Amino acid sequence: MKLWASVRIFVLTVSRRSEVERDMDEELRGHIQNRVEDLERSGLPRLEAERRARVEFGGNERFKEECREAMGTHFFDALFQDLKVGVRMLRRVPGFTAVAVLTLALGIAVNATMFSMVSAFLMRRPPGHDPERVAVVTSINAAPVFQADVTPVSAPNYLAWRAANHVFGDLAANERRGVNLSSQQQSGAAGDSAGAAQPERLRAAAVTLNYFSVLGAAPQIGRTFVPGEDQPGHEHVVIVSHDLWERRFGSDPSIVERSIRLNRENYDVIGVMPASFRMLGFVPQLWTPLVLSAADQSAAARRDRSLFLFARIKDGVTLEQVRAEMATLVRRTDETFPDTEKGWGVAVRTLPDFLIHSFGIREAIVVLMTAVGFVLMIACANVAGLLLARATARRKELSIRVALGAGRLRIVRQLLTEGLVIAILGGGVGVLLSYWGIGFLRANLSFNEAISAVPITLDWNVVLFALVVSLVSALLCGVAPSLNASRADVNVSLKNESRAASGGRSRSLIRKLLVTAEIALALFLLIGVGLLIRGIYQIEHQDLGFRSDHLLSASLMLDDARYSGADKKRVFVQNVLDRLRQASGAEAVAVTSDLPATEPDSVTLIVKDQPELPTEQRWSALDFVITPDYFRAAGIPVKRGRTFTELDNFAAPAVVLVNQEFVHRYFQDRDPLGRQIQLDVGEAAPHWSEIVGVVGNVKTNSQETRDDPEVYEPFLQRPVSSLALMLRATSDPDGLSSALRSAVAQADPELPLFRLMSMPALIEGQKGGTPFFERALSCFAILALILAAIGIYGLVAYSVGQRIQEIGIRMAMGARSSNVLGMVLWDGLKVSALGAAIGLVLALPLPKLFNAMFSGILHVHEPGLYVIVPAAMLSVAMLAAYVPARRAMRVDPLVALRYE
Amino acid sequence: VAGEAHILPGTLDLLILKAVSLGPLHGYGILLRIEQISRGALLVEQGALHPALFRLVRQRLLKANRGVSDNNRRAKFYEPTSAGKKRLRQGEDSWNSLATTIASALGARPEEV
Repeated sequence: MKLWASVRIFVLTVSRRSEVERDMDEELRGHIQNRVEDLERSGLPRLEAERRARVEFGGNERFKEECREAMGTHFFDALFQDLKVGVRMLRRVPGFTAVAVLTLALGIAVNATMFSMVSAFLMRRPPGHDPERVAVVTSINAAPVFQADVTPVSAPNYLAWRAANHVFGDLAANERRGVNLSSQQQSGAAGDSAGAAQPERLRAAAVTLNYFSVLGAAPQIGRTFVPGEDQPGHEHVVIVSHDLWERRFGSDPSIVERSIRLNRENYDVIGVMPASFRMLGFVPQLWTPLVLSAADQSAAARRDRSLFLFARIKDGVTLEQVRAEMATLVRRTDETFPDTEKGWGVAVRTLPDFLIHSFGIREAIVVLMTAVGFVLMIACANVAGLLLARATARRKELSIRVALGAGRLRIVRQLLTEGLVIAILGGGVGVLLSYWGIGFLRANLSFNEAISAVPITLDWNVVLFALVVSLVSALLCGVAPSLNASRADVNVSLKNESRAASGGRSRSLIRKLLVTAEIALALFLLIGVGLLIRGIYQIEHQDLGFRSDHLLSASLMLDDARYSGADKKRVFVQNVLDRLRQASGAEAVAVTSDLPATEPDSVTLIVKDQPELPTEQRWSALDFVITPDYFRAAGIPVKRGRTFTELDNFAAPAVVLVNQEFVHRYFQDRDPLGRQIQLDVGEAAPHWSEIVGVVGNVKTNSQETRDDPEVYEPFLQRPVSSLALMLRATSDPDGLSSALRSAVAQADPELPLFRLMSMPALIEGQKGGTPFFERALSCFAILALILAAIGIYGLVAYSVGQRIQEIGIRMAMGARSSNVLGMVLWDGLKVSALGAAIGLVLALPLPKLFNAMFSGILHVHEPGLYVIVPAAMLSVAMLAAYVPARRAMRVDPLVALRYE
Repeated sequence: VAGEAHILPGTLDLLILKAVSLGPLHGYGILLRIEQISRGALLVEQGALHPALFRLVRQRLLKANRGVSDNNRRAKFYEPTSAGKKRLRQGEDSWNSLATTIASALGARPEEV
């Protein structure tokens, strides 16, 4: 039957069923009527003629059935019938059905739940017109850093590539920024007016004027940028996001044409973007024009790589052609500016591809989906085992049906349909369960703005996926038992009347294989999860190099409008620190450019009296700018020399501190005190600084195991704008947050304070999705273990049931109950051990795989797990086998032998 | 009834095609036509006719049109499609050659062997 024809007939059967039946009825009735009239004409009385006609015609229903079969609707009629019979059979054994349905429901529920992440993160179409034709251009870092191929592009490169390429219709740029939004306030009218919202720090993006047209996105209200708005003096216009518009401005449509205060300057709101304009990882609250000046063409600007480029690909140009063109352009810049561009490459991806890649969630989702896939397979193996056991119980019934003329195919179909009914029920319950699962997911996946901006819902993708998974599981569950049943020999099983039909070798072999596979899968999963969790545990319990307890922190950004000069920054910091020192309960206070273990930027450096190294091998270190009390507040030990004092100010000679890793890597642990180094921090006139002390190592990132060289500069000598406040409290640090807030508000009421939280909370936040990842994986692993245990239990219980007579005979012959127990357990152990061995071998390459997948984040090496997990697994399996085995021990030989 | 033969398996389709090739007919008409052209020698089991008709329609050898029979009853009239006509010709040929072969085989005399 061709697919299309079957679909047509199916639709016909279902939708026009009554019509077809009526048609058939009419034709048959017409036939009989004709016959009646003929007979009447030959002289028979009417009643007799009708009787004769019916008799001649024979069984009406039988012919209808044959007609249906001839028309091809038969297939679906049989399906409906099978379904009806299947449902009836399953209703007769509610216990069996409940166990099978629930097992599958669990498997399908975890799959559907995890798939909602796939749907939300990997399948969502970016906004705008035809996003597949939008290319995102990024640089590839010459150094092998994390996600090197999503490094932003420098302004000179953007301008050069935009002018020279032949493949893009238009090329736009986007720079992520942060801005301070303060309440509408006339400068001079100082003090908090009642009801004025607090100043806040917002995620913003500076974009070229063509940004929205390249993406093909239109505003919900107002307009986007027009030519000329990137010129100095005209650039004070802003487009706000739907979210900000709703939250801060109460969805007031008159916001357009009003002005808001950003970084202490007034900006005219010209538009509001719709809620749908949201891209994975790009969730700015507002957009301002990107102003590129002559300074952005300079050689220094080449080092400032901050632009993500979005381009509309010309019609008829392929992605390969774009890549080739960009490679050529990059080669040209490489040759012209070897100093800054050597080794740097370019990456081109389509917009959907880029967003997923740069968000970096694919690996985690792959691991989670694999884990739930295993859980489902184990669940299917269990249900298949259950069906197989039932098929044995139904052997007689099936044999009778075969003997009465049911085709083997028909029997296979009946059994497959029963599997289908279970799977569809399981799928339905599974989707219901996943509704809660997804709620749990949403609650756990809100650890940062980018993640919580992604709506995870039970959408059609998920439902469709659940349906497909159900159908596949129906096949997986139904195939083994039905093939087996179709092979059943009618004569043998009918003749076996008196013997409780024992499974026969091939049947129990299949069951054993299924359970072996279950054990192997479960063990593989447990080892994989164990490795990951152990790796994560090591990270969470590592010594970070500072004391995070009793530490309160907050961030702020000094805007250029008010804090343009170094002096103003110094005065502000001095002012805030003085106020904070007076707060009761404050033990030490400090200001730093970056909080410890939060992955600060790194700077390149050179050491005096040492030959200069080629660009790509130049030394680098993580750079902190701090006030003198930083080490006391953070609890970082000073190993040698001294720390900074108030005397290390702009008038004094430049000094720096380094950490032990710095000394180890660059001075081979020799005394570095008194050596001069020069940091490349983008100053017009680089200066030499003397190393005056060595401090302990602090982890680069609280979630990674790395130790990197670190260098500390005094704030008084190089005041920076991006700052964090740090306060060591004598008691609960959260109690001091209002003091911290008011200290800053008194110094500058328009300056927003953000990320105000205790250091442990901050580190907790840095974990991101890790706790969720860990919890979800452990859940799946435990589920797999339980399912596998049920599998073993079922197998052993079943075989004990089958061997009651044999056991009875053995006991009658003098076997002790301990012998019987041993025999039954040994059977279970053989299967478990084989499964465990297979799982173990499969799991051997896992550490290597994980280390490659999560390179730089996790380091997994735990040979002990390969002993502990199989041992635990086998113990659980033995426990599961012991329960039914005890039953075998209590067999009464007399009862067993009489049991015929 | 003496003298009436049941149709050999497989030949019903052929007879139906032959019957309708002589002019469109409704189901009961086909039955009568077969009796007529076989001079009453072949008896079609009444109930077997309709499944065969449905099957032939599905194989696109017959097409059915709605019409009104001579006694004013709505009925489906069957006629062969071009594929049906072709099948009829093939059927006639193979049947004839089979019949000849069988007849000559059955007509064999001892001295010819």
